[in-house]
Amino acid sequence: MLRYIVRRVLWGIALLFLVSAVIFLIFYVFPNADPAKLRAGRQANPALIEQIREQLGLSDPIWEQFLRYMTQVFTPFDWFGAAEHGGTGPLNFGRSFQSNTPVKEIILERLPATALLVAGAVVFWLLMGLPTGIISAVKRRTLLDRVTMVTSLAFISAPVFWLGLVALYLFASDVGVIHIFPGIGSYLDAETFWAKCWSLFLPWLVLAAATAAIYARYLRSSMIDVMSEDYIRTARAKGVAERNVIMRHGVRSAITPIVTLLGLDIGLLLAGNAILTESVFNIPGIGNEIVIAIRRSDLPVIQGIVLFGAFFIVTFNLIVDIAYAYLDPRVRYQ
Amino acid sequence: MRLTRLRLLLPALLLVALVGVLSSCGGSDSGTSSEEESAGIPSEFKAPTAAPDNAQQGGTLVQLNEGDIDYMDPGAAYYQVTYSVTLATQRTLMGWPPDATQPVPDLAADQPEVTDGGKTVTFTIRDGIKFSPPVDREVTSEDVKYAIERSLLPGVPNGYTAAYLGDLEGFKEAEQAVAKNKTTAPDISGIETPDDKTLVLHLTRSSSTPVIQALSLPVSAPVPEEYAKKFDAESPSTYGEHVTFTGPYMVENNSSGELTGYTPGKEIDLVRNPNWDASSDYRPAYLDEIKIQEGFADPTSASQKILSGDSQISGDFPPSKTIVQEVATGNKYSTDQMVAVPSGGNRYIALNNTLPPFGPGKGLTAEQALNVRKAVIAGSDRTALRNTRGGELFGPVATHFIPPLIPGFEEAGGLEGPNLDFVQNPDGDAKLSASYMKKAGFKSGKCEGSICDITMVGDDAPPGKDTATVFQNQLEDMGFNVNFQPVAHDIMYTKFCSVPSNEPQVCPNVGWIKDFNDPQSILQVPFSGDSINPSNNSNWPQLDDPAINKAIDQAVTITDEQQRAETWGKIDDQIMAQAPAVPWVWDNDVLVRSEDVNGVANLFNGEWDLAYTSLTNP
Repeated sequence: MLRYIVRRVLWGIALLFLVSAVIFLIFYVFPNADPAKLRAGRQANPALIEQIREQLGLSDPIWEQFLRYMTQVFTPFDWFGAAEHGGTGPLNFGRSFQSNTPVKEIILERLPATALLVAGAVVFWLLMGLPTGIISAVKRRTLLDRVTMVTSLAFISAPVFWLGLVALYLFASDVGVIHIFPGIGSYLDAETFWAKCWSLFLPWLVLAAATAAIYARYLRSSMIDVMSEDYIRTARAKGVAERNVIMRHGVRSAITPIVTLLGLDIGLLLAGNAILTESVFNIPGIGNEIVIAIRRSDLPVIQGIVLFGAFFIVTFNLIVDIAYAYLDPRVRYQ
Repeated sequence: MRLTRLRLLLPALLLVALVGVLSSCGGSDSGTSSEEESAGIPSEFKAPTAAPDNAQQGGTLVQLNEGDIDYMDPGAAYYQVTYSVTLATQRTLMGWPPDATQPVPDLAADQPEVTDGGKTVTFTIRDGIKFSPPVDREVTSEDVKYAIERSLLPGVPNGYTAAYLGDLEGFKEAEQAVAKNKTTAPDISGIETPDDKTLVLHLTRSSSTPVIQALSLPVSAPVPEEYAKKFDAESPSTYGEHVTFTGPYMVENNSSGELTGYTPGKEIDLVRNPNWDASSDYRPAYLDEIKIQEGFADPTSASQKILSGDSQISGDFPPSKTIVQEVATGNKYSTDQMVAVPSGGNRYIALNNTLPPFGPGKGLTAEQALNVRKAVIAGSDRTALRNTRGGELFGPVATHFIPPLIPGFEEAGGLEGPNLDFVQNPDGDAKLSASYMKKAGFKSGKCEGSICDITMVGDDAPPGKDTATVFQNQLEDMGFNVNFQPVAHDIMYTKFCSVPSNEPQVCPNVGWIKDFNDPQSILQVPFSGDSINPSNNSNWPQLDDPAINKAIDQAVTITDEQQRAETWGKIDDQIMAQAPAVPWVWDNDVLVRSEDVNGVANLFNGEWDLAYTSLTNP
């Protein structure tokens, strides 16, 4: 198992290199705004723009900029002009072209909002999705099963930004028809942890809705397969209580695809995939920040957030794979 | 009529009534001032520009913004929304009370003394103005000198110092010094400080008028050299993270001066400046705290939050058309919760005067290209273009370039515009357009042939995209074959429209906003051939007419107010006669507030004035 983990970590680092290279390529190959001109502002003369371009290190060859960045992220050395352009590393992701704020600071500032949003949403979608999937599988082809599956299809189909706006217009305490939950921008006003949690209640429900529906459908499908296996029939024949047959034998086997999904979903959301929910509710998270950075061609911020995101995805995938070994005794790693 | 049919028709009738309400506004009405008339603002949406007599001290106001300010560093700040912060936190040599149409002394004790035929300007610094903690000392003339000089550093990217203060003696030498040493502010020999209270500016020509106006911009906010030097030595400068303030408010900071109350893209927290002396300032500063919250991407829900909530105002976004209509009916919200302010800006569609068919080439002479441009303006439905922004409240249809409230507006023809037939009909005149096309050599009255295959690069998001799409249709009606490429706003400028070598035939989403209330700041950069620059160009039509260039250059040095207005008004007409672009609106800023806010708008930047706004129940 240890060798497996080490091998996965090394592959993860290689993947981060590759992701960084791809981002650099995309930034320079595809049309984007000129960050030096944006920083210089309107009416700036060409001399000032060129000076800023040099200051930001953008006049160096692309390969040099890339290697300088990798040096700053992974090493403490002053190679490729690292000290002159943003400082040495490790874990130095440079400074925003626009605000000159260290990218690490930007990410750490924004991460708690995204993390809290994701954590709460995970709890909700597991609490809603898993029981629904199990019950639907057990009560297959009943009215309850059909209603839950149609409802889940509706939630999967509804775009999350639409759902968010509808939720606001129905339930927000400021603009809603029924004043129950805190409205748009309430996260910014919240000062304590519990106030922040309460401000995220509606976003949690919105973000969880579609995922819970997907999980319910997946688990239902997986449960149906598992419940027709021989060992389930054997357990019943041995007189095991139906509840234990379902939960200990059925769910335990059926849940492995859900675990995979969970790891991927958490990693993706932490990487910024909650952008639509963050935008609708004005939650100052990672997703919000990367959209601003893309619009402003702020490469260091884009690069930093993508790397963080890739790191989360790699890490959560590894956790998921390790969890498999405990959930499914047939899985062994070498 | 059956009740069911009436029920079906009711929404339509309400809409017609609403259109009637909105369209009846903007015409003359008793009790409507000429300023509001010229900006097309109905009296019920007129923005208060003075605090009420019973305004109360205290409370916390929240301003909702979509985006961020551009720079906290006053040396680099060059954006109307940033001015909301600088007007409340910095004291510049000349300042802008909310109802001012000309700058008044702020950091300066009095109006400056202009001598030597307009080539020498002398300011006296007001007593008793102190920097906020941790600097904690009185402002001197040296601090203003340093503020101007540091704006030449590439680490302090200032876009207007060279344009407006470039006539200072020693300015060119200072620019050369910076090219060699990019982290030390150069000395500009034309700025003298004979004592702590006196600042003398020596100019190479009599351009004192634009210089004094430009010193109302944040660049003249004093900066203490002994404190800022170490930040300016970094590349780029980090003074923006450690700014010190002289106004009634400051951004919260720690004991070393680091701004803790500013998180870019998230929020700005303004608190009272303990070193501010109310007796030395025209600002009343009623509020105890102002929180600027950013990231509100949907203007509809953000506006509703403000209108339904408490102690909130809008910042950098206009309300959506839905909200405007909702407020205008007065059913859900009070109509006085929405106001409009002339922004001092214009919007126009730039026609590239260097590329056929809008410029000579491919068999087209300059005269023929001019007729094509006139045909396009004549045939454009500028009312429809204006309506893509939200309707009449968002500004009158433009007939030239100087906006209302700016000197020269009336002299250029006012709302009616110059005596040019191709700009007389705001809804478009197909017959006149056809006649100009025929003069250009297109016998059918529409553009013909491959010369009429044109490219247009515009915004990929509303409302810019809506404007571009409407214009595309209008061009196609005139015979053009338009390849419309929507791109992100910043890409549109930095890769296409502001790069002369890469500029397409049409840039539909451009415009210019005044830097101060002088027509030079509206016309010089966008229309002088001398300002065309190869990589960050703002003369989007690339108009380069020697007569206009000369007239502009000469008009800069006029010091008499009335003569300036007349001269620049004539220049506006000269520019319009060349038909370089399609002017379609003089923008109004539409602002909303919560019911418990006594909002005061500032005519300088067209935003709520944070130092004059108060709460009814703090």
